[in-house]
Amino acid sequence: MRALALALLAFPLLAQHGRYLSDSNNPAIGDPKAIAAGTKLFMGSCAGCHGPDGGGGARGPNLVRRSLWHPLSDDAIFQVIRKGVPGTDMPPTKLADDQTWHLVAFIHSLTGPASTNPVPGNAAAGKDIFWGAKAGCANCHAIRGQGGRLAPDLSNVGGSRPLAVIRESILEPAKDLSYLGNEAATVELKNGQTITGVAKNRSNYSLQLVDAKGRLHLLQMADVKKLTISESTSMPTDFAKRLTRDELRDLLAYLATQDIRLETAKGSK
Amino acid sequence: MKRALFSLLLAATAFAQVRNEDIVKGPGADWLTYAGTYSGWRYSPLNQITAANAKNVVPKWVYHVPGARGLRSSPIVYQGVLYITNTNSVYAIDARSGRLVWQYADPRAKEGGVNRGAAIWADKIYFTTSDNYLVALDRFTGSLIFNRKFADVEKGTTSTSAPVIAKGKVIVGSAGGDGGMRGFIMALSADNGDELWKTYTVPAKGEKGSETWGDLIEWGGGAAWLSGTYDADLNTLYWTTGNPWPDYNGSVRQGDNLYTCALLALDLDTGKMKWHFQFTPHDTHDWDAQSWPVLIDTQIMGKPRKVVLHANRNGFFYALDRVTGEFLRATQLIDKITWAKGIDDKGRPILLPNSEPTATGNWVCPSVKGATNWMGQSYNPGTGLLYVLTLEQCGMYFRSSQNPEPMKHFSGGGATEEGGQVVLRALDPKTGKRVWEYPMTGAGRMWTGTVSTAGGVIFSGDDDGHFVALDAKNGKNLWHFNVGELLTASPVVYSVDGKQYVAIASASAVFSFGLFEPASGVEPPVIQMKK
Repeated sequence: MRALALALLAFPLLAQHGRYLSDSNNPAIGDPKAIAAGTKLFMGSCAGCHGPDGGGGARGPNLVRRSLWHPLSDDAIFQVIRKGVPGTDMPPTKLADDQTWHLVAFIHSLTGPASTNPVPGNAAAGKDIFWGAKAGCANCHAIRGQGGRLAPDLSNVGGSRPLAVIRESILEPAKDLSYLGNEAATVELKNGQTITGVAKNRSNYSLQLVDAKGRLHLLQMADVKKLTISESTSMPTDFAKRLTRDELRDLLAYLATQDIRLETAKGSK
Repeated sequence: MKRALFSLLLAATAFAQVRNEDIVKGPGADWLTYAGTYSGWRYSPLNQITAANAKNVVPKWVYHVPGARGLRSSPIVYQGVLYITNTNSVYAIDARSGRLVWQYADPRAKEGGVNRGAAIWADKIYFTTSDNYLVALDRFTGSLIFNRKFADVEKGTTSTSAPVIAKGKVIVGSAGGDGGMRGFIMALSADNGDELWKTYTVPAKGEKGSETWGDLIEWGGGAAWLSGTYDADLNTLYWTTGNPWPDYNGSVRQGDNLYTCALLALDLDTGKMKWHFQFTPHDTHDWDAQSWPVLIDTQIMGKPRKVVLHANRNGFFYALDRVTGEFLRATQLIDKITWAKGIDDKGRPILLPNSEPTATGNWVCPSVKGATNWMGQSYNPGTGLLYVLTLEQCGMYFRSSQNPEPMKHFSGGGATEEGGQVVLRALDPKTGKRVWEYPMTGAGRMWTGTVSTAGGVIFSGDDDGHFVALDAKNGKNLWHFNVGELLTASPVVYSVDGKQYVAIASASAVFSFGLFEPASGVEPPVIQMKK
């Protein structure tokens, strides 16, 4: 029942600094021409260490994943490119300002929230896939008050995750090892009652569980006979087969538009 | 198909829901609105903790709010879950264990001011972001139901207050009055955030009241940055307004500057102003009227009255008829007042000379922080007393000759606060006189309010980070606990499983207290990990 890669989804909420607070107003950000120019620069000078998709290499960290636990503002990325990181293999550069911004625009397109970047695909078609039976996303996930409550709410998935992370979460949801905060759980109480759902939090003393109907149960572990926790995700792992390439692209395009900071017309989702 | 699935899910989540009558009834186990009651009492009928056993109060849990540095939030509690806000974020906490259930954060919100709390209605939790979005969340999971922008931060308005919800209307206000803006109070639909009405606190040019201003009326301030109270029988909201802008330079806004530094009585259904009462006409000391309008029925001057009590930042304690707005009485809230000799029969201050801000500064009491402020007051029907945190403090007030420019953090001058002492005072609403007082040690920096209970106990905070219990009858200190940092919000009382708790936010954490119980060891639970 669990859906997107849940541990990933929990992280950016903790990051109260960096990108999500201070996006740059530089016109290069989100501009396809600047991103294309930045791509060339990146492939020439950066991909050797950071990988062609920013996914990391032997000498440079994965920029996409790093953005989840340590998001940088565009201005901070600019400064890192300019000054390098002393004491590491990351050297300073002598690029002109506009070239540096092109590079920042490309890195932003990899690591910035999907809603702030050009995304291929047809969001309207993706909407039907999300709410339809074939993908079944809405059985567990909600967007703006509609859909299931067991899996993480996706109302802001485009506003908080890079496209690459959303794609990975759909195709390889079991890749992450820790689901703390979103574990699939079955609890047998000493009074004979059994409740199945998601453990929002738990300790040796208490358990906070949301059941399949979306109701919250605040339990004392002293009242629990046995708690069974799934070590894996309950999100289906077959989306690479279940959806065609075009369907996946359109679904991603739809999810990329889910951003709580974008004005929505009344009642739209 | 889609629709069928949704309605099935909706039906399934229809659990207990918070209704208007639940909030009207007032607190019991739950604490459903900022002040506990619509009438602003901050009073709990729970009586497990009494003046006799308060010495046995101990901390039950602490929740450290991530990144918090000066929490202003008063919690909401419903069915064992405590909801507290920080800047652009909400935390749902298991009220028995202090464990986090869910959190919601919107770190991309523009602006980052304080937040005073959440509201609850039906099965949703509501709060506002600092850039004026009303956000509604599923109370069980924190899932977003809707968010709607109700005002433009670009026009100088931000949002800090806890919404108050009555009859399906979410009442929100406007902050930002010290930088030039036009204050307002709004009602939004609890179902979808639609605007239902909007009442400005400063008239438009040409409207009645605009003759009390000059050219700066469009930026006149009168922010409504604290939530207010509600009389369900009269269907009337009581909301206070902030200072006129520019704060310290009155020469560019000759006149009373309606409706700033005032109490407004608004019809809940339409937002229409039934009456207004201005405490500080033409304010030049930043004495916003933001403190709680407390609604009680009592005998005043020999007659039974529906009264609204108001302890004001300007140093006086007022009683008005809340049906008509008639001024009944004002007494001194603090000892040292140098700007006015008293309040006349009509409710206007009798001014004293040399009280205006000047280029070289004038020494005036009270200070810019005021004789009291937004911290919650408590009215206890058992003792018949109102408990108010007051500040005996004076300061220098300066006026700048610079041309006022809105939205540039320009306030037309400045003020200092010097020394001072916080004193918790018990006031008799019938006479306006002090019954007892409890002086504190500290530097006049706390923002703690009070809560009182049927157990005859007041919970509040000293000015130095001690959470305290006092005897509601005589102010005698019964118990104290050092939270290790300043207390900057107001406490609430609730119960879970029949056990009474009292919770308060300090600068960075939420503490919950209850009566001592011997610990019982816990057997390691049987937890099976399944592939």
